[in-house]
Amino acid sequence: MKTNYDVIVIGGGPAGMAAAIEADKKGAQVALVERNEELGGILNQCIHPGFGLKYFKEELTGPEYAQRLINELEKTKVEVFLSSMVLEINHLENGNHLVSFINEEGRLSLETKAIVLAMGCRERTRGEIKIPGARVAGVYTAGLAQRYINMDNLKPGTRFVILGSGDIGLIMARRLSLEGMKVEGVYELMPYANGLFRNIKNCLEDFGIPLHLSTTVTRVIGKDRVEAVEVTKVDENLQPIDGTQEIIPCDTLLLSIGLIPENEISSKAGVALNPATNGAIVDDNFETSVKGIFSCGNVLHVHDLADNVTQEAEKTGRNAASYALGETKEAEAKLQVSANFPIGYTVPSTTQKNQNASIYFRVRKPIEEAEMVITSGDKEIFRGKPRSYKPSIMECQMVPAKLLENATDEITLSLEMKESA
Amino acid sequence: MKQYDLIIIGGGISGCAIARELSAYQLRVAVLEKNLDVATGTTKANGGIVHGGDDPQPGTLKAKLNVRGVELYPEYAKQLGFKYRETGSMVVGFNEEDLKYLEKLLDNGIKNGVKDIELVKDPKRIREIEPQCSKDAKYAVYCPHCGIVDPFEVAIAMCENAVENGVDFYLGEPVTKIEKKDNLFEITTPKDTYQCTYVIDAAGLHADDVARLAGIDEYNIIARHGDLLMLDKECGVKNLMPLYPIPSPESKGTVALSTLAGNVIVSATAVYREKDDTDSYADGIAQLIAGATKLVNGLNTRKVIRTFAGERAVCENNNNDFWIKPSATCENWFHVAGIQSPGVASAPALAEYVLNMLKENGVPFEKKENWNPIHKEPIDFSELSSEAQDKLIHEEPSYGKIVCRCETVTEGEIVAAIHRNPQATTVEAVKRRTRAGMGRCQSGFCQSKVVHILSRELGIPVEEVRLESKDSWLLAGEVKEGVTK
Repeated sequence: MKTNYDVIVIGGGPAGMAAAIEADKKGAQVALVERNEELGGILNQCIHPGFGLKYFKEELTGPEYAQRLINELEKTKVEVFLSSMVLEINHLENGNHLVSFINEEGRLSLETKAIVLAMGCRERTRGEIKIPGARVAGVYTAGLAQRYINMDNLKPGTRFVILGSGDIGLIMARRLSLEGMKVEGVYELMPYANGLFRNIKNCLEDFGIPLHLSTTVTRVIGKDRVEAVEVTKVDENLQPIDGTQEIIPCDTLLLSIGLIPENEISSKAGVALNPATNGAIVDDNFETSVKGIFSCGNVLHVHDLADNVTQEAEKTGRNAASYALGETKEAEAKLQVSANFPIGYTVPSTTQKNQNASIYFRVRKPIEEAEMVITSGDKEIFRGKPRSYKPSIMECQMVPAKLLENATDEITLSLEMKESA
Repeated sequence: MKQYDLIIIGGGISGCAIARELSAYQLRVAVLEKNLDVATGTTKANGGIVHGGDDPQPGTLKAKLNVRGVELYPEYAKQLGFKYRETGSMVVGFNEEDLKYLEKLLDNGIKNGVKDIELVKDPKRIREIEPQCSKDAKYAVYCPHCGIVDPFEVAIAMCENAVENGVDFYLGEPVTKIEKKDNLFEITTPKDTYQCTYVIDAAGLHADDVARLAGIDEYNIIARHGDLLMLDKECGVKNLMPLYPIPSPESKGTVALSTLAGNVIVSATAVYREKDDTDSYADGIAQLIAGATKLVNGLNTRKVIRTFAGERAVCENNNNDFWIKPSATCENWFHVAGIQSPGVASAPALAEYVLNMLKENGVPFEKKENWNPIHKEPIDFSELSSEAQDKLIHEEPSYGKIVCRCETVTEGEIVAAIHRNPQATTVEAVKRRTRAGMGRCQSGFCQSKVVHILSRELGIPVEEVRLESKDSWLLAGEVKEGVTK
């Protein structure tokens, strides 16, 4: 059995498959390790349409989108290990890495020059937002409920309240309605919806499901199974307003309250994480703080579209292959990238002077109108057109190499708010 | 009707400890537990500390059993194959008033016979003992022999060893009626009737209610509720020894410690509430976060993965002490009640004490010749060496299938847990035995898999799989009938 590779990709969702395909195209010897029995990752349970508009220029369901990548992958020489769970990554003296995983054959270790981390993300839970009340059955993350319905053909409840207006929650509201389960309403802590506009329209409005903003679940009520939830309006500091409590009878509470990159293996391997994204700190090649380890997709930062994941992963796969094949040039002059509130983070954290830069970011609150201003030291090097920014949309700011010529050793992204009239 | 010499009502840590102790003797013993698993009441929701023994008032029964429990735990852990770690603990003071309290506590501890207890007055030494203790700590009472366990793991190990030695456990059988006929008790549950000579009432929060079913009305149990928090393994703190604030008369206050698995647990508030109220309360959670922040340096309290709550059974007008004694009005009925903190720490000593009490009250005891005190600990895949993991998978490929990715729990471990005796029949019972679902995703990824494995192994439809209690249903049936493979 072959035990030496140029690139090992961990994760077989849209990010992992795209990275593996591109690394293979560059001539690298690639293995892909996936923990589930099949490729596709979370796309397999996303049976709704809306995928691929950007990347394949047509509308696909999640499994269709995954199948396109699986078909591409099958044309390559990439070796795929399914039902295989990576337990650890160790670093060897020769600069290579050892990826250890288990499957039903035993415990295996493969040596590789480069690794692409593409493990995706997980959902935030009840515990993380500390919803008080009873410890009963019937509190599910939206993704688990989606799995029960779409993969297992099982109903996780009959009468639902959804907390959080993230995309998964909105899509589940529609899915539950279509399958004859009752959705009492979607409740959102923030004064604005968190999901994509098209999902608010298609998943709630079209089904007459009310969206209650600035309202949260303050108590789970029930003895063995959820019997009701208490919802309460919150003030501008997101604190519950006493006296506004309302009891909503239901048997299930679905939580769609955010996603968190799953970086257990990364941090064990010594990869430095960015507290703002919970993903790795990467440079413009998507290389992490550990030489030869790259990261892309939702394990790096949470994307809103699989299409963006795929494109980011393609670049990362090519970069990992270049590194493994010894084609990477040392960066000439690194630029530190930072951002000011309300920009929450940037990916990458560094870029290079002699190249065009694509800087991904998200805002922490909706901005009606602002200009993107990029400065270096006390010099302004770029100013964008006034426009709006939304937390639900991952933005990409292109910065041509020409503009970076005047930069010192850092650039800072800021949004200059227009005073609303 | 099933016949026994002795029946224990209640399968919490006390009931399980007593069952295991009595399993050494030629006595037909059964345990009746109302829930679908043992260790589902107070036992599953507490800090898991084998407290040093400095806190209880000298002269009380719980002072005696606590200190004796600390002595017994290491050997118990070896025999029964549960994890136990001696960590030491500190009660931390910040000012001169606290020092007065700590001096009294030291005196208390010495009177209770706590070994090697020490009053530390040098802040530098406090940080040597526990580098993660608050930088503001000036004084501390240090108990080097305090330890930690997973209390449900202890109870399950005791239960399983009792079963291996002939004790019968009946789960999901709440006692509904008790009659005494011709010196024999007849105990009714929804499934059966049980006849026995002796009853040990270890029914926790409901011990008084159970006694009243038999017409015994000698004490009252009230419920002291406590909120608890579980933090992620990555929360800025590692291997934190139990740190206590200056205690109040009601509670030892907010205690923070690392669990055996490496999470941090913050335990517990103390508010009298209705029995069986295991809700979490927002003010309790806030109090715990404030308390832990004061005690521990560098703890990231945003990393909470679960809030939960438990209730301690407090015997009214009993000076906060345990209520372990023969009934004054009903011969051959024994109370094991009011087992509040330190119930976990005392459990092995409590069993020993109950055995002696039974002997003194004429229960005949004869040693079993073939009693086996050794319980084999279940396989914990994540703790094995790489070679041992590989070997195990070759022997049984299901150990190569990860079900719970957060805690690295394999299908092999889950199947083994389900088929232990007694069987794990619920999602939470599997979790208590394997840690599947205890990690940071809180079963978001593995619950569906665990439900399907339970369904397959127990031969029941997935809709009948329960989270914990009999009515804690998870699934309401098929989405589209007739399409499931």
